[in-house]
Amino acid sequence: MIRLLHVEDDADIREIALMALDLTGEFEVVQCSSGMEALATITSYTPDVVLLDMMMPGMTGRQTLEKMRETPALANVPAVFMTARAQHAEIDELLQIGAAVVISKPFDPMALPDQIKRAMKKVR
Amino acid sequence: MFKPSFMSDAAVAVTTGCGLACLWYFASTSFLSGTTAQLLGTSGAIAIACLVPTAILSKASARRSNDSRLSMSQRLDAFDRHACINIVNAKNELTEVNDRLLELTGYSREELIGRQVKTLYDEAMQEIADEIRSHLGRGEKWVGETPLRRKDGGVLYTQSTVMPLYDAAGNWAGSITARTDVTKTNELVAERHTAKTLYELHDDIWIVDSDTETFSYMNRAAKLRSSLNGEDYRNRALEEFSREHGTREILEACRMLRATGNTSTQFDTTLMGVPMHVNIKFLLGFAGAGQYLILFNDISERIEQEEMKSAFISTVSHELRSPLTSIKGAMGLLLSKSAGELPEKALALLEIAHRNADRLVLIINDMLDLDKISRGEIDMDIQDVDLVELIKEADQANAMLQQRFGVTVELKGTQSAIAFRTDPNRFIQVLTNLLSNAYKFSKPNSTIVVEVQETGEHVLISVQDQGVGIPKDEQHKIFDRFADMANSDRKAKGGTGLGLNICKAIVENMGGGIGFESVEDVGTKFFFSLPKSQAAFGQAGHQATQRIA
Repeated sequence: MIRLLHVEDDADIREIALMALDLTGEFEVVQCSSGMEALATITSYTPDVVLLDMMMPGMTGRQTLEKMRETPALANVPAVFMTARAQHAEIDELLQIGAAVVISKPFDPMALPDQIKRAMKKVR
Repeated sequence: MFKPSFMSDAAVAVTTGCGLACLWYFASTSFLSGTTAQLLGTSGAIAIACLVPTAILSKASARRSNDSRLSMSQRLDAFDRHACINIVNAKNELTEVNDRLLELTGYSREELIGRQVKTLYDEAMQEIADEIRSHLGRGEKWVGETPLRRKDGGVLYTQSTVMPLYDAAGNWAGSITARTDVTKTNELVAERHTAKTLYELHDDIWIVDSDTETFSYMNRAAKLRSSLNGEDYRNRALEEFSREHGTREILEACRMLRATGNTSTQFDTTLMGVPMHVNIKFLLGFAGAGQYLILFNDISERIEQEEMKSAFISTVSHELRSPLTSIKGAMGLLLSKSAGELPEKALALLEIAHRNADRLVLIINDMLDLDKISRGEIDMDIQDVDLVELIKEADQANAMLQQRFGVTVELKGTQSAIAFRTDPNRFIQVLTNLLSNAYKFSKPNSTIVVEVQETGEHVLISVQDQGVGIPKDEQHKIFDRFADMANSDRKAKGGTGLGLNICKAIVENMGGGIGFESVEDVGTKFFFSLPKSQAAFGQAGHQATQRIA
């Protein structure tokens, strides 16, 4: 099972992503509604991959990832970003800070599991 | 006769008469004697004293009468030369016109006499004509400005006095009009008014002599911005001014105008820290000399509004994506039957909803693209690519649409790889757009041909359909925004009406051109060419050819 930490402030999107990932039976998903909650979660949970929404109130996806990376166990954790602002400049920026894949919203839920698995392969 | 300036004709006559009478009396009494001498001397002197002044006064009166006639004639002549005079009868027909009127209006006498006076009237004069008739009807004169129509179509402005005329029986018989040409005066007043307006205008205005490149005029706004007083700007060199205030771009634009022979240019620039739209006109004078009329329009507010609009579009578009993600995601999961089997009708309805959610995504993407285009900020990610692979990718990405519209796609010229440098996503965006249009407007079971050709310095990509074609009266606006939305049938096909406009902007930003050929009920061929040279990227596109087969 792939341990996935999903950080997304929109409850509906969390639910859709969860349904899509559960369909494959390959993911063990833990979901958080904010960056702060995610940072609290990783003290007791070490994911294999993180799926982060970029625009979140309080702490952005990028800031959340940077904080996570300070934890030695997550220094190289594959990160997949979701963003509504999928511009070249922003994608380049996210790739530079260690994003394996950037998925633009709206996303295809049926394609999501494969996109995450590809990101994990890319990092390995 | 000598007459001192202080003496009237009567005084001269009486003095002369009395003088001569005295001489007669003394002469007769000196040479004659007795009663005869007394009688002759006295009666002769009285007769002389009476007759001589009468004769003198009679002569003076005749002279004055001649002088008066001459003066009146000269005055009438001067008046006739100065004013336009016309007389009309009771039927408003011109019966007399003077030479001055003919000279200023350009008509011949034959062309006016017997014609209605309105022949001379400008359109703007019709209302005034009613007012004049009303005054004349009341037996009053009318004074005011009357614009007349010249034979060449021009307008002659006159200050006129119209007097009613009566026949011997006292009946109204027409009118006489005397007019003074005030066209020049009006022009001068207008010029003065314009000059004042220009001076008071909020926009900055410079006038620069093209030979010496020195300032000959600055309005108040321009002087204030440059901290110049009075006429300090006069004879100041534009080059020196440009060095001081960083306006080199304007100097170079002026020189370019003169060098190329163009008469005007306009662009956005910054004038002393303020964003401006500048419009330069080269006004040619005699012997190649001329002036640059340079008008600056402060666009800070416009830019601020555009930035606000842009931020709004961007925010709204991005905010729409979150609910759309949920809507599309939920429908996608339902359609994939991950929530179980659905009744056939429910599935059909869900497909409609999903398709329209897709359309909404396209509209949002197009809105964001348009916003970037209008700000000149199309982001390009230029990479080394195989053009043939990109064409195949675009074809595969649209396989579902092909199936939906029952069309097949034939690729030509794609046997071997074509190495190219372009933004692959933008290239696919353009091709996908042309392909989806071809699918939508093709006849069922028809074939769409996508062809790539290398032509010297360019590659030419074309998409030929066997569709309904584009009506001739719509062809000129096909690349305009929302051009195809006027047609409800086209709207029903699911376009946003922005695609071709965006394609044109992308292709031109890549240094290429886009065009089409179309015949109604036969088909349409869209084509775009891109330069092989990377240097052409970002330049304005070469003129797309639009031909109608």
